[in-house]
Amino acid sequence: MKKMKAFTFIGFLAFILILSGCSSESGGDASGDSDSGEDSVTLTIGSWRTEDKASYQEVIDKFQEENPDINVEFEPSKNTEYNTILNTALKSGEGPDIIHLRPYAPGIELADAGYLEPLDDLEGLDKFAEDTLAASKGSDGKQYGVPLNISTTQMFYNKKIFDELSLEEPKTWEEFISLNETLKKGGYTPISLGSKEGWLLSLSHGIIGPAHYGGNEFVDKITAGETDFTSEEFQTSIDAMDELKKYFPENYEGLGMEDIRTMFFTGDAAMFPLGSWEIEVLREMNPDLELGFFPMPSAVGKDPTITTWVDGSYAVNANSEHKEAAKKFVQFMTTEEFGKLFTEEFKMISAIPGIESDDQLVNDLSKAVEEMSTPYMMLVHFSGGNPTTKATLETELQGMYLGERTPEEVAKAIQESAASWYEPLQ
Amino acid sequence: MSHYNRTQGAENKKASTRTVSKTKKQRNWKRWTIHLFPIPALLIYGLFIVYPLFAALTYSFFDWKGIVRGEFVGLKNFKDLFTLQPFSDLFWNAFGHNILYFALQMVFQNGLAFLLAYVIYKKVRGSEFLKIAYFLPRLLSVIVVGFLWKLILNPNYGALNVILERLGLESLQKAWLGDPDTALIAIILVNCWYGLGFGVLIFLAGFQSIPQELLEAGRLDGANSFSMITRIIIPLMVPSIMIMTVLTFIQSFEAFELVYAMQGSQGEPYHSTDTLAVYFYRLAFGGSTGGATTAVGLGSALAVVLFLFIAFFTALYLKYMQKKQVDM
Repeated sequence: MKKMKAFTFIGFLAFILILSGCSSESGGDASGDSDSGEDSVTLTIGSWRTEDKASYQEVIDKFQEENPDINVEFEPSKNTEYNTILNTALKSGEGPDIIHLRPYAPGIELADAGYLEPLDDLEGLDKFAEDTLAASKGSDGKQYGVPLNISTTQMFYNKKIFDELSLEEPKTWEEFISLNETLKKGGYTPISLGSKEGWLLSLSHGIIGPAHYGGNEFVDKITAGETDFTSEEFQTSIDAMDELKKYFPENYEGLGMEDIRTMFFTGDAAMFPLGSWEIEVLREMNPDLELGFFPMPSAVGKDPTITTWVDGSYAVNANSEHKEAAKKFVQFMTTEEFGKLFTEEFKMISAIPGIESDDQLVNDLSKAVEEMSTPYMMLVHFSGGNPTTKATLETELQGMYLGERTPEEVAKAIQESAASWYEPLQ
Repeated sequence: MSHYNRTQGAENKKASTRTVSKTKKQRNWKRWTIHLFPIPALLIYGLFIVYPLFAALTYSFFDWKGIVRGEFVGLKNFKDLFTLQPFSDLFWNAFGHNILYFALQMVFQNGLAFLLAYVIYKKVRGSEFLKIAYFLPRLLSVIVVGFLWKLILNPNYGALNVILERLGLESLQKAWLGDPDTALIAIILVNCWYGLGFGVLIFLAGFQSIPQELLEAGRLDGANSFSMITRIIIPLMVPSIMIMTVLTFIQSFEAFELVYAMQGSQGEPYHSTDTLAVYFYRLAFGGSTGGATTAVGLGSALAVVLFLFIAFFTALYLKYMQKKQVDM
């Protein structure tokens, strides 16, 4: 019997070893293209936009009118799971042929790891603004993605409430503050914001911040290492976030995304500092809502700003068996025709400049983007490090609203985080 | 073994059981086939439990650039986890929360479950109904439980604050899940509410397996109910208490689902609901907003530390309690 036990045990060990051997660490076995052009190929698109499945089908149908021999399948996964699923697939040499890239650091990480195909020879890339391309430019200076859309974050407001209290869109920071006072006296919650979910705080700082640190000039200076986060300019942007808390809802520290959205579309709150993707959601929740937005007026005598970033790009998997076909598809994504279709179908701002939209609000927004855009600095430049500097800002602002941190300590912590990985600040 | 003994044994076997005698060949074959039956189970177990365990262990010895494996760095990840800021602060912060988790669950969930099980065991009126009522929350999925309590605890329209207002206790109103002093405790209490029924079930089974003759003997010897409980019932309940403690220990040190359902993966607000498992998830897979970078090496190191910790204490505790068991 003893012998049997030993035998089983050894058998089991051997079996584990075999299992461990099964996992291969293939970094990239480029098998080249097997597109003979005779029979049709099937491409898969990976994305985190499950809600856009129908709209993507429209895009694919349009593409297939001209390329009937290329089948395209849009296979999205859940937003919060997407990164994990994609990373696992890429590591084992698999993954979709066309990859929806997260903007800036996480996407560039994939490019630097060699999982993506360089697209420098793609026609139509010259249309895009340099800033837009930067969202998917690898550290080697090559272009790895075709930018899809621009997201913005700004103050939305309820036109009905503004009319009722005969309020105007503010042109200066003082006007903005007095407007908040009027709303508060009128029995409304001025700004619908909660601090329970950290990402809402970095997003609203993305709106409020540029008005105090002075928009693009400061961004240029800090990315050149000529100033830092403990500087006067940046400090005032944190102070402003602190100053505004008296206009937040009651118990704001316990409110999350769903709560503040509800407060806004039901008309309890007058303003809603959030991203452009909420337009569709708000309209769905309350079709009668008279939705407007205004650019953030500057507190330091500069121009008003709309905060923007590239929300995603499309890249080609270096391990794809149909690279040429995949390149055809992303090439299609650089055309005016696609831009027009995208704007109509998705109600988002296309990354291709100069596309008109039939939706008044979206159209006004894209015009504002072309005239007064400032980058969402924390996402565009400071989403590196571990924890990321953006995440540090979120945690620290949360601490500030809970009374655990002073605004000075917040700025100091952000500086420390950035200095730990961001070369210009070292 | 001598030949004689063996035949003796065989004779006895023949007498005591009704097995038909088989040839040696058949018996050997049977011995062989026995080893074939666990193979499917071993496959699944090996593939989904043993292999990931070893994979995590190997990952933790490497440097990672995002999701690409770099050099072998030995114990550097472990060192960083305990010495590098902010990781070490976050680790001990989360560790403390797990200990609180365990302590509160032992008191509120298991203490209460023990009492309630005793009440049902004593056949109080309505005990059948109570048994079902306690177990009901357990039938919901954790995600649903999290969502429900999030609604109840909502600061502005949640049932709890509304009830407090009706009772004129406005001073007690809080942003329960937004205040770092109450957020974790609220989650733990929800977890106790959720796990109560399971505890009741285990303890009730324990009470019901106490032999009646022992209790009668005690009563005949004139023991009062206090010494009946302390001298007879509790010692005989040791196995159930042991099982519940171990299960609670493992569950509270792996606490993730409910925290994630109620507060997401960032340990919000202000790291006050970070548990080791939530912190691990954030390290290994990035945050929930899709924009965070990942630290596979550190995450794996944390997973290994967590595994060793739980395994060590569970083994120690079981060894200690086995000595205390009463032989029946």
